[in-house]
Amino acid sequence: MADTVLEVRNLKVAFPCSGGVIRAVEGIDLDIHRGECAALVGESGCGKSVSALAIMKLLNTPPAVCRADKLQLDDLDLTHLPDRQMERIRGKHMAMIFQDAMTALNPVMTVGKQIDEIYLRHSRLSRREARQRTIKALELVGVPEARSRANSYPHQLSGGMRQRVLIALAFACVPKLIIADEPTTALDVTIQAQVLDVLKNMQQVHGVSALLIAHDLSVVANMADTVYVMYSGKIVERAAMQELFVEPLHPYTHGLLASVPRISDDRQPFVQIPDAVPHPMRKPTGCYFHPRCPRSSDQCQQRMPRLESLDHEREVRCWHPLRQPHEVRS
Amino acid sequence: MKRSYVIKRIVYAVFIFFVVLTLNFFIPRIGVQDPAERYYPPQGGMSTIEYEIIKQFTREQYGFDVSTFQQYVRYLQGLLRLDLGTSLRSGSPKVTTLIAQRLPWTLVLSVSTLVISLVIGLLCGTLAAWKRGRWQDTLLLNASTISVALPSFFIALMLSFYLGFRLELFPAYTNPNMVAQFDWGWGAIRMVFTNAALPIMSMSLGGIIGYSQITRNSVIAVTNEDYVITARAKGLPQATVLYKHVLRNALLPLATSIGMNIGGLIGGAIIIEQVFNWQGMGTLFLEANSTKDYPLMMGIMLFLSAFAILANLVTELLYVILDPRVTVGDKR
Ligand SMILES: Nc1ncnc2c1ncn2[C@@H]1O[C@H](COP(=O)(O)OP(=O)(O)OP(=O)(O)O)[C@@H](O)[C@H]1O
Ligand code: SF4
Ligand SMILES: [Mg+2]
Repeated sequence: MADTVLEVRNLKVAFPCSGGVIRAVEGIDLDIHRGECAALVGESGCGKSVSALAIMKLLNTPPAVCRADKLQLDDLDLTHLPDRQMERIRGKHMAMIFQDAMTALNPVMTVGKQIDEIYLRHSRLSRREARQRTIKALELVGVPEARSRANSYPHQLSGGMRQRVLIALAFACVPKLIIADEPTTALDVTIQAQVLDVLKNMQQVHGVSALLIAHDLSVVANMADTVYVMYSGKIVERAAMQELFVEPLHPYTHGLLASVPRISDDRQPFVQIPDAVPHPMRKPTGCYFHPRCPRSSDQCQQRMPRLESLDHEREVRCWHPLRQPHEVRS
Repeated sequence: MKRSYVIKRIVYAVFIFFVVLTLNFFIPRIGVQDPAERYYPPQGGMSTIEYEIIKQFTREQYGFDVSTFQQYVRYLQGLLRLDLGTSLRSGSPKVTTLIAQRLPWTLVLSVSTLVISLVIGLLCGTLAAWKRGRWQDTLLLNASTISVALPSFFIALMLSFYLGFRLELFPAYTNPNMVAQFDWGWGAIRMVFTNAALPIMSMSLGGIIGYSQITRNSVIAVTNEDYVITARAKGLPQATVLYKHVLRNALLPLATSIGMNIGGLIGGAIIIEQVFNWQGMGTLFLEANSTKDYPLMMGIMLFLSAFAILANLVTELLYVILDPRVTVGDKR
């Protein structure tokens, strides 16, 4: 499809370590269209960050082992691209926003210099021109007094301001794709909403495609068009945001949704999915979710279900989804 | 505020120096024996009155005739005039004169040792971190294990024997009569490659390995920091990431350890100077020790402490330039 900005096929990441292999990502497929915001949602440790880093080709190999049948960014085939050429693409065509801006910014360099660097790297600008762009970029994400703030060190800014700096950094070259790895989890709830607004605004103004990573659905609800639900290294459900909210099909998604507290809905008590994610080195047989699943059967314990499409734009990996494929919705 | 941090550090350093000089004054005076009797033990054939006169004369000469507190005040007054007292050796030279005579010789050794171990240590440490787990890294690990087991005087002896006597590449010892004629400038630089070469090598080896280890570990730790991934995510080339983001942060712990090592560097020369018959502060201290020349010993001790405190102060102030976070307060 010409309109696909990111196409990932069968992405696998493993970490060999003493006592076994951690299979962090077990063959995921992603398709993100132009201007679309896709969300990757799942509990802590399910492999979201590792997937993001693998797409950016930022994992250190070794120790990580990465495989993908296809990794295509717009018209660029990244599947077997050597590191030297990846350096020209990172920052310019694809960028990443990290979770904790405090640790993601170099503590001994002013934030302005850190943004200058990306302009100096990817366009033929003088230092002066780069700094002017930097100030503009900071103004765009709502940093007041951008000119003087550019000379601050990260620790001199508030958490929200730092996260804005990271957003400015990611959008600096207006890339084709932005990956935001839990961009707000390190922030206070009130600041979270502001930063998400900035992110959403930037994404829509520039028409950039985005992959937004989060561990619960409430964060992505206002922003994402499509949602990929990930569990223990595998995609278990894919659906448009609206449909997923109306009708989750995978028991895990159902649990995730039920654990989002909703003000309007006080009939159901706050539900928590029991137990924890399986240890990445000792995953259960069959469906990885079966020890925690209320619908699990013998079949679930023996064989891993495939990711089947339902309707046209939905996929689910479950033997007993909440609605069977043949049931046609009105 | 930057300035309040700087002032705080300076006040602290002065305070520590005061404590040190006070201890330096009182500890030798804990001994109960009359110093005059110690210097001139009673000899046969001398009447008691004669002996008392000699003791009284000695006390006056060396300032023991007044109370300890008065002695302390005199000692402080002397320090203000940069006077560390008079040595007991013949000719009663000033302690400061003796130190000034020997200091350049020790400085040649310690400054070149510091520079050499820093430069080589930094390069090797960065290389080992870069080639983590490969043979370069393993070599460093083995070298440091061995160097811990080998005392520096042993290394000095081996170097002196093989490079000095067997191969005759460098002079294995120095003529003590050279002391008076230290030549600042080219003479000092030439010395680094001739007479001082073997002592410097013996002293540098431990430093090279120590700094390599610190650099290696700190570079590896910083490489895993999030901001290094951010730098790579910006598309910066590997070399730029290493130079601009990794090294700048990795050098911070190194700065601290340099500050702590400088003080020890002069003291650490004591043994090495003996091996090569090098007429520096270390040898001077041993001479003072064997002749029970207390004023000289105290003077050297005080001088070395002041040097160490000053070195620490300088590194702490350097930190203000290197790490902007220090300005917030005492974060370390
Ligand atoms: N460098 C590494 N070496 C070994 N295992 C790793 C490494 N990085 C990640 N893992 C493993 O990969 C799995 C997935 O980790 P990942 O960081 O992608 O989780 P996540 O979904 O992003 O979780 P979180 O919400 O906590 O960020 C984890 O089980 C983790 O232990
Ligand atoms: S396959 Fe079975 S165990 Fe797995 S989610 Fe579906 S019902 Fe639950
Ligand atoms: Mg993560």
